[in-house]
Amino acid sequence: MKPAPIAYVRPDTVERAVGLLSESGGEAKVLAGGQSLVPMLNLRIAAFERLVDVTGLPGLRSASDEGSEVRLGACVTHERIQTGDVPDPSNGLMPSTASRIAYQAVRNRGTIGGSLALADPAADWLATMAALGAAIEWVGPDGPGSCPAEAFVEAAYTTRLGLYDVLTGIRIPRLHPDARWGTYKLCRKTGEFAHAMAIAIRQPGGCRAFLGATEGAPIRLPAVEDMLAGLRGWDASDAARLGEAMAADVAAAGRSLSDVHAWQSRTCLARAVAMSFGAAPPRLGRAA
Amino acid sequence: MQPIELIVNGERLSAAVDPRTTLADFLREAADARSVHLGCEHGVCGACTIVVDGRIARSCIALAVALDGAEIWTLEGLGADPVIAQLRASFHECHGLQCGYCTPGMLVTAREILRRHPAPSEAVVREALAGNICRCTGYAGIVAAVLHAAENLAEGEIPPL
Repeated sequence: MKPAPIAYVRPDTVERAVGLLSESGGEAKVLAGGQSLVPMLNLRIAAFERLVDVTGLPGLRSASDEGSEVRLGACVTHERIQTGDVPDPSNGLMPSTASRIAYQAVRNRGTIGGSLALADPAADWLATMAALGAAIEWVGPDGPGSCPAEAFVEAAYTTRLGLYDVLTGIRIPRLHPDARWGTYKLCRKTGEFAHAMAIAIRQPGGCRAFLGATEGAPIRLPAVEDMLAGLRGWDASDAARLGEAMAADVAAAGRSLSDVHAWQSRTCLARAVAMSFGAAPPRLGRAA
Repeated sequence: MQPIELIVNGERLSAAVDPRTTLADFLREAADARSVHLGCEHGVCGACTIVVDGRIARSCIALAVALDGAEIWTLEGLGADPVIAQLRASFHECHGLQCGYCTPGMLVTAREILRRHPAPSEAVVREALAGNICRCTGYAGIVAAVLHAAENLAEGEIPPL
């Protein structure tokens, strides 16, 4: 299908973009790479009176290495993260994640800020940014705002961003040089949205473990993190204890997963942890 | 209607577009680029794959108005490209097509696969082609054609990305 009639503006300052969103009274939508929004317009799942294209705003395509952290502008594409065109604070976790988002043609245009702002629960950056302890920054009618990525998502497709806020960038703290990570997502077909996803980061001073693709906000797994801190290697016999810790964490977070979804999440988590200990990741898209 | 100016297959093109016009429809209608095929119109089939500013993109999920100033290549403009020439020969040799509807998108995508991976394994080709749907061939001929092209392109013939 084709999009319904819509107006388009391409402001050249963030303040102007926020002003355009405010004066549209909720009938305008921010357009970045468009790799999710334009399909939704084509299918007429979403309808707006006006698109505010933020890809021309100063600084939104830039990236800076600030030593202890890296700041990525909201319109940095997945492809630039995949290829190392922007600084990587994550010992390779972010390039690896970026290289598995959808397909190359989508990665070439889709942006990290657009993906976070849409907050499709099955998308990769929500859980990855939460696991890395990143902060999301925006500008709205009241000026700049920010929050930890872990607290950014309230529910599926619902974030802390107000109707007139523009997500401007992401600050990602640098992982410890000795940090080891693993990440795994389960897709029925390569490039499709994930059915389940897990990220495990082992590093001195605190391990991090998250489930993504949970149909809501990413779920942090504190009991799993405690277990990871004590592990000296990975053995398949650890999987049962890992699964119990995960189940306790999901329940403690007040969330529930269906039996199939819990099984898928457990599988992803065990593979992510094994990968953090050097196991080669199984072929993408194969559940065996 | 909003004015845009872009370069399509090496030629400057100025036009007034309705903001809701996708790049795919714009290229077919304003630039007569009929190799741009529309399959799904929501970014999953890959038949409309073209090159925007040196990288492949899906023209059905890009709005023409948002690409003001971009440089675009469709298969029509890549006739003299050595990688496309070899891919064409290899698709012919390896039976990489049947009805042909997905073929322009396959060729444009395969060109970028070879630019990113000049000597790809079969697994790399299969994964990188996962976003291009073919309902005729079962993919075996297409994958074989991309591998055949990689083997038959001389070093230096593939422009790096």
